[in-house]
Amino acid sequence: MPLISIRNLTKRYGGSITALDSLTVDIEPGIVGLVGSNGAGKSTLLKILLGLLGATSGEATVLDLDVRTRGTDIRQRVGYMPEHDCLPPDASATDFVSHMALISGLPRTAARERTAEVLRHVGLYEERYRAIGGYSTGMKQRVKLAQALVHDPVLLLLDEPTNGLDPSGRDEMLELIHRIGVEFKIAVIVATHLLGEIERVGSHLVAIEGGRLLRSAPLHEFVEQTGTLAVEVDEGAPSLAARLAAEGLEVVVDGRAVLVDAADERPYDLVRDAVAELGLPLVRIERRRHRLEDLFRDVPTAAVEPSGGGGQP
Amino acid sequence: MTDPTISAAAANGGPAGSIYDIGYRRYEGTRLGRAHAIRSLFFHSLRSSYGIGRGGRAKIAPIILGVLAILPAVGIVAALTLFAQFGGGEEFNDQVPIRFDTYAGTISTIVILFCAAQAPELFGRDQRHGVLALYFARALRRSDYALARIGGFMSALLILELVPQAILFLGRVLLTPDIPKAVGDDLPSVGPVLAQSALAAGLLGGLSMVVSAFTPRRAYAVAGIIALFTIPNVVAGIVVGLGSSTIGTWLTLSSPTAILDGTNAFLFDTRLDSDFFFIDLPGIAFIGAAVVGIAGSIAITLRRFARIAT
Repeated sequence: MPLISIRNLTKRYGGSITALDSLTVDIEPGIVGLVGSNGAGKSTLLKILLGLLGATSGEATVLDLDVRTRGTDIRQRVGYMPEHDCLPPDASATDFVSHMALISGLPRTAARERTAEVLRHVGLYEERYRAIGGYSTGMKQRVKLAQALVHDPVLLLLDEPTNGLDPSGRDEMLELIHRIGVEFKIAVIVATHLLGEIERVGSHLVAIEGGRLLRSAPLHEFVEQTGTLAVEVDEGAPSLAARLAAEGLEVVVDGRAVLVDAADERPYDLVRDAVAELGLPLVRIERRRHRLEDLFRDVPTAAVEPSGGGGQP
Repeated sequence: MTDPTISAAAANGGPAGSIYDIGYRRYEGTRLGRAHAIRSLFFHSLRSSYGIGRGGRAKIAPIILGVLAILPAVGIVAALTLFAQFGGGEEFNDQVPIRFDTYAGTISTIVILFCAAQAPELFGRDQRHGVLALYFARALRRSDYALARIGGFMSALLILELVPQAILFLGRVLLTPDIPKAVGDDLPSVGPVLAQSALAAGLLGGLSMVVSAFTPRRAYAVAGIIALFTIPNVVAGIVVGLGSSTIGTWLTLSSPTAILDGTNAFLFDTRLDSDFFFIDLPGIAFIGAAVVGIAGSIAITLRRFARIAT
């Protein structure tokens, strides 16, 4: 039995906007990245899995419980960290998290103990007695994570957990997610539009676009297809591409860059020669580390921003 | 149960300090269900109404209003103490204007201010700061949430109404020479006091919760609640003053405070001593109006939270 099973799940808003389009995928325990650009349907999917939103058609089960009828039971065993702000500024982290523990069904003493423990795990110490209103974004994200974790869920659903964090805050959050998945042994689903983050912590990747499944596979299968060489030139990218294609290479033009499929060493020389012969102003040649992004670049519907700013409304 | 994890951490070659890190522990204890969640939210609402658990500034308004609500009762009891020492308590007791049948009316302005100050805190806060999404992501249903919040707030109001009257009751009973007789005198008032306080807490609390459920912005909610409790009264007064007593009488039933004046008169069997609210209406009509008002405001609030997007 998979942790989550989704069959032909479709969600339309108001008949015209399709958030999910007959999505079918199974998700197994681990740290699973749910990746897609903004508006791909990630938040919608998480809300349907929690039983908060009804699907237009299709079905889904979480922990073998039907999301349409067993929402309450699912929510008792799942922790959810929403994307947007969700903390009252005038309560302290301790008060708020232990209140949420009570609402999650923990008895009073247990709620207090778990709160202290979880806040320590997410790295909030003395400041946990101060009002949340005075916290930094990073601390607020930790409180949001703590309230999702306080009742020791079987599964955590995190919606854009690194939103608004600076690079070091981002690293710490990712480290924390990694610990939760690996040390705490809690299944985690991380919805994000940043592929790089999943690459660092995830074990499995589910990519969706336009409400449809792009691909679901263990992370290494995505990363193994490395070897794209990005050749960036100030001008003449199309002629370079044509030249390299004539040599029998797989090439794609991406703005000012030419992406070359470089399975072995041969393309390096070819690129060097081609650039020199055409006399093109070469900016840089680099191996694309975030190969995952190509996944989206190859989508025929193409209306995709591989990386981008803030979250959905 | 900590030993294995400590040795595991040591075996992993962690730094010396990490022996204090006992790692993540699963929660194996009891998990109480929905009823526990509702109960917890109910008491949270009740405590939040008095600013408990919300920092110092949140306590100022409820403490001031609470003291003001108790003040008349304390004053009467203090006066009774003096008279009990120097005699003349009987006459004072007969003439004092603050009695069980007038107490609810005496503090109604304070109760309304309490509603205006505290109701928006309960519903507005959760909506403004997105906390609603966290509540709905737990075992609670949307209706559970709304009912627990409303119930908690109404109970807070009930306490605000009943504590002063309990003080009044105890003072009156304990400060007379003949305690059994005093108990006998005051006991018939207990029923009406409870009923009137419940109706006032229900109606004023219910209506202010409706306003704050639809008005996340605090300032607007405060203004809305005060308007709801004063404007119908003024309008009805003007219409009656213009000579249309039939319309005025019915308009009276749109004013929460007038309804409560009516139920008070009915429950304590006194005359309505207002100039313009005339009693073409039977007393039971006021009770009916109050009950409809309470049920209606709960229904509207439930509907609001059934539909609100998070």
